[in-house]
Amino acid sequence: MHPFQYQRADSAEQAVATVTKNPAATFIAGGTSHVDLLKEGVYRPGLLVDVSALPLRQITAHEGGLRIGAGVSNTAAAASAEVRQRYPAVSEALLAGASVQIRNVASMAGNPLQRTRCPYFRDPTQACNKREPGSGCAALEGYNHVHALFGASAACVATHPSDVAVALAALDARVQTLGPKGPRTIAFPELHRLPGTTPHLDTILEHGELITSIDLPAFTGRSHYLKVRERASYAYALVSCAVALEMDGPNIRRARVALGSVAHKPWRATSAEAMLAGQRPTEQLFRAAADAAFAEAKPLKHNAYKVPMGRQLMVRALLETSSLQPLQGPAGTAFAASVGGVAGQVASPR
Amino acid sequence: MSLPLKPEFPLALQTGDLAPDCELPDGSRLTELRGRPVVLAFAPDTWDPTLAHQSELFAQLLAEFGSGAAFVDAAADEWHALDCRGELAERFGVVGKRALFLLDEQGIVRWKTVVEPGEDLRPGPVLAALEALHPPTPAAASPATGVLASGLTRRTFVTATLAAAALLLLPGCRTESSDTNEQAATGSADGAGSGNGLLAVTLRINDKNYPLQLDPRVTLLDALREHLHLTGTKKGCDHGQCGACTVHLNGQSALSCLTLAVMSQGQEITTIEGLSTGEALHPMQAAFLKHDAFQCGYCTPGQIMAATALLQDQTTRTGSAVELREAMSGNLCRCAAYPNILAAIQEVQRA
Ligand SMILES: Cc1cc2nc3c(=O)[nH]c(=O)nc-3n(C[C@H](O)[C@H](O)[C@H](O)COP(=O)(O)OP(=O)(O)OC[C@H]3O[C@@H](n4cnc5c(N)ncnc54)[C@H](O)[C@@H]3O)c2cc1C
Ligand code: SF4
Ligand code: FES
Ligand code: FES
Repeated sequence: MHPFQYQRADSAEQAVATVTKNPAATFIAGGTSHVDLLKEGVYRPGLLVDVSALPLRQITAHEGGLRIGAGVSNTAAAASAEVRQRYPAVSEALLAGASVQIRNVASMAGNPLQRTRCPYFRDPTQACNKREPGSGCAALEGYNHVHALFGASAACVATHPSDVAVALAALDARVQTLGPKGPRTIAFPELHRLPGTTPHLDTILEHGELITSIDLPAFTGRSHYLKVRERASYAYALVSCAVALEMDGPNIRRARVALGSVAHKPWRATSAEAMLAGQRPTEQLFRAAADAAFAEAKPLKHNAYKVPMGRQLMVRALLETSSLQPLQGPAGTAFAASVGGVAGQVASPR
Repeated sequence: MSLPLKPEFPLALQTGDLAPDCELPDGSRLTELRGRPVVLAFAPDTWDPTLAHQSELFAQLLAEFGSGAAFVDAAADEWHALDCRGELAERFGVVGKRALFLLDEQGIVRWKTVVEPGEDLRPGPVLAALEALHPPTPAAASPATGVLASGLTRRTFVTATLAAAALLLLPGCRTESSDTNEQAATGSADGAGSGNGLLAVTLRINDKNYPLQLDPRVTLLDALREHLHLTGTKKGCDHGQCGACTVHLNGQSALSCLTLAVMSQGQEITTIEGLSTGEALHPMQAAFLKHDAFQCGYCTPGQIMAATALLQDQTTRTGSAVELREAMSGNLCRCAAYPNILAAIQEVQRA
């Protein structure tokens, strides 16, 4: 690890001021993503400003929805009865990610801000524009089986790995921040950006801009998260899908669908969403919507498998959210979210 | 090394050589110490008495062998006297090197380890050198005289063993797992708090306070193992992928390899050493024994810490086998003792 200094922040304002005036400073919360990148030599900050002791650990009612403090742990958010009952996609995504130990420490702001799992990004001996702008992209011609289908560029084909970010994108959560220029609100789908020619920037956050809370807007529909991975538990998604469905009698009033691990950000399937609005839910409709969503996919050499897998996953997520098919486990738990069974138990084929 | 070597001692003393007489830092002469084993340790002056377990170890060595063996280097504050750039190092031909010599009762070098400058001291060669001294079987020692088959007295051999252990703990010694130790000695300049980049950190572990001077890069895992010698917590992957390093932070399970020690200040840290009460095992430990929930045992402390924290976990609700498996998925077991681990946890849950 490169040497760095460490400071514990006493207030959000102080944390923002300290990081803003020092270009080599970064925030650290739970550290579960950050410490690993320090060890790998990917991060070489001069100063870590620890925001984990800030009073941002409450979940409160807010404008008919919920305000989740930036420092609330993934475990605490997933355990909240309000979150589980009103926004099961959020707790399903959280509980299907990482492990109990990691979730106990990982924060709600840190999770969506974790970096890509592109293996070349984590290996300082490889070319990577995200780690070192201008050095090239080893994944483009390398082994790119976990890489992007949508919105990639010649500079970077990485995907964003967070599970909960996908659910938050589908629910149009809002991110509250305090930055060098004061507070602002960011619509969650706008938080992350596409790589373009500047893949070293994952989000639109400015240097020194601190997330203070993630707000879930009022929502009375159903939501659900589904994830496929290489092993039953404790693995990142190959493809995932979050659905937020609001009904109007027997018809869909509004459907929001976000796909995970297929792009540099949670990928809202807007063409599919438009097809679903006003329609009566049927498997046929869902298949057509999934076809539309994946029509724009641009697979790389090793990730074409994600197209049929993602299409099928999206159909299933829509069927389960609209109750045309039962959830495979209790809503709001990892068991509802895990495709292909959970640890130690293989789901019976449908 | 640019220091000139005295031509009369061009090479390090070899095993079997008679050590030259010389004056020791405390004013005594080596020949005066004949009749008991002597350990001479040379080190660069990076000895750091703030590394608590090192001072403790030497205090123990003194207490145990002070009357017999002469640990001329035993106390932390005398360590500098055997600076590897000193005259003594010249006489022994180890200028600028880290070295350990064991002299027997006749003043003959029976065993030595020398680390060339720029090289890392690794346990392998030290242990191999020690192995060469080791009696093939306990029966090979004559009980009457305590003389081993190798010609050494048992006390000399035990002294060598302890000396080897001490050597391995020297700053700059790179064991497979202690990278951060060395870095701690070369910490960033102007680190907040002190000039050498070390921070004063008090960790509360198993209901005791441990004041430490730590480089901010030291993980909680390395602080426990390398600085405090609480080696029950294991290092498997060091990247959050195996669960071997699981401890409790304020009662919840957490990975000590992904936690910086400075960040865990102010939290109640519990390690596997803190689970039992005296000789009485924690029920989970007893259940692991009863159900044979391990083979090699390397993952076991982490498994037990994860399992005990689960009993209070808010996201594990029914305690069914399926749920426990999912909740324990952060702890890998290379020996695949999973069914027995599950049985042990279920038994404690039912109790
Ligand atoms: C083995 C392993 C498996 C994992 N599996 C999964 C998985 O399946 N699914 C998944 O989604 N995740 C997974 N994770 C990732 C894990 O969820 C993240 O590491 C965690 O959520 C990060 O949160 P943190 O608080 O520890 O962040 P930190 O590591 O502290 O910080 C992460 C980033 O966020 C920034 N940051 C933190 N707080 C703020 C703030 N308030 N404002 C602005 N910036 C901030 C930091 O500067 C840093 O860049 C896994 C991690 C590991 C190690
Ligand atoms: S895909 Fe992006 S993160 Fe991966 S090597 Fe290319 S530039 Fe780096
Ligand atoms: S050593 Fe910490 S998880 Fe493997
Ligand atoms: S008992 Fe050997 S790794 Fe688990």
